[in-house]
Amino acid sequence: MMEELREEAAIRFNGIAKRKPNFKLGPITLEIPAGYITAIVGPNGSGKSTLFKMALDLEKPDDGTVTVLGHAVGRSDDAHMKQRIGYLPEEPSEHESKLKASEKARFNSFWYESWDVNRYQELLLTLQVNDNLALGKMSKGMRRKCDFAIALSHSPDLLLLDEPSSGLDPLAWKTMIELLHRYMEPGDRTILMTSHIVEEVKRLADYIVFMAQGRVLGVYEKDELFSSWFTFFVRGEGLAEHKIAGIPGQCGVDSIGGSTFRITTNRAFDAEQWCEAEGLQIVSRQALELDEIMSTLLLQDQRGKRKS
Amino acid sequence: MRLPIQINEQSAEPLYHQIEVQLRALIVSGQLEEGTLLPSIRELAQTVKCSVITVKRVYSDLENEGLLRTRQGTGTYVAKVGEQERDRHRLSSVIEALDQAVTAGKRMQCSEEELKELFQEAMVRHYKQGDGAI
Repeated sequence: MMEELREEAAIRFNGIAKRKPNFKLGPITLEIPAGYITAIVGPNGSGKSTLFKMALDLEKPDDGTVTVLGHAVGRSDDAHMKQRIGYLPEEPSEHESKLKASEKARFNSFWYESWDVNRYQELLLTLQVNDNLALGKMSKGMRRKCDFAIALSHSPDLLLLDEPSSGLDPLAWKTMIELLHRYMEPGDRTILMTSHIVEEVKRLADYIVFMAQGRVLGVYEKDELFSSWFTFFVRGEGLAEHKIAGIPGQCGVDSIGGSTFRITTNRAFDAEQWCEAEGLQIVSRQALELDEIMSTLLLQDQRGKRKS
Repeated sequence: MRLPIQINEQSAEPLYHQIEVQLRALIVSGQLEEGTLLPSIRELAQTVKCSVITVKRVYSDLENEGLLRTRQGTGTYVAKVGEQERDRHRLSSVIEALDQAVTAGKRMQCSEEELKELFQEAMVRHYKQGDGAI
């Protein structure tokens, strides 16, 4: 069973840690399942990009190991494994600014055995960009589209996307989402991405990883996450705060006057059953958005740390 | 192909269940004929805006019920649904919907009499108003 699970992880971070003068990452143990889209979300500086760099051997962990596509990262014979990865970094590389997009594409076509020039042209056409221009002379969005097309043109098994849509207009954003869904169609490919855009995570992710201050707060299946976190307005004859605070999965209680309370729960189904059993009435309900879930998790995390 | 499936994010009913009920209804009612190729898992997940994990669960549940069959490498198809089975499924989804309506009524503290009245009113609205309202 364990062996099987190991096979199914596209990336395994095993107890990795990194200490920098003003930042500490880890220790983190995390598996990115193959065949799915996993999105890492978290505030700036939570260590998302560092994780990416470790998967690509661009940064080495002080402790722990990283395995990508069944191959230990950091060994010298990793050329074949890297052929199977596509990477879109958060910031474009400075040293490429003088290159035309077409020149960068040509360079990549030498390096990647599976480079498909037809696919590249098709991506340019779909994204409506012209690659006959120096990358440094392009608008931010245009450059993003070119780098995106280049990262996809060797049909990698694993795609690492760091804030992929930054700088894109809404139309280009929509095109990118569609291209990524189409990329995943064969069923055995994997995307690991970061994003600050709630709608992007909602549309793309199968799994969501929350990160803050160099640690993983939790890994969730997306639909389960969104169906578990709810805000209820609960009313009951003579209902007191200490009682409603006992609702399953309680993550916050506010009195809004009389015997009505606004409560947040991360176990919506159990909470509803509990209300029914206690004879309490749920006046209204609202699913939480991703950012609201994240801020509640952060708050809980800080409280937990203060206690310990 | 685009399946007419809509989900309600504000409902506490689990997503896989919402999709499953609607897809089952489409098959059992005959709107999706035997042999129809369903969208791929990723495609349906994209249109419904849910994760592939949820769609996988729906497809595999309905396959276990005998409503779908998967052919390795080609996709998921609507299976042959027998007359008897069709009847059973047809009514079971209606019974479930009525069940939910009663639960909603109880949540709002409706009395038994009130609920019966509401049911009658709904029947009148759907069957007696104008000609062929349904």
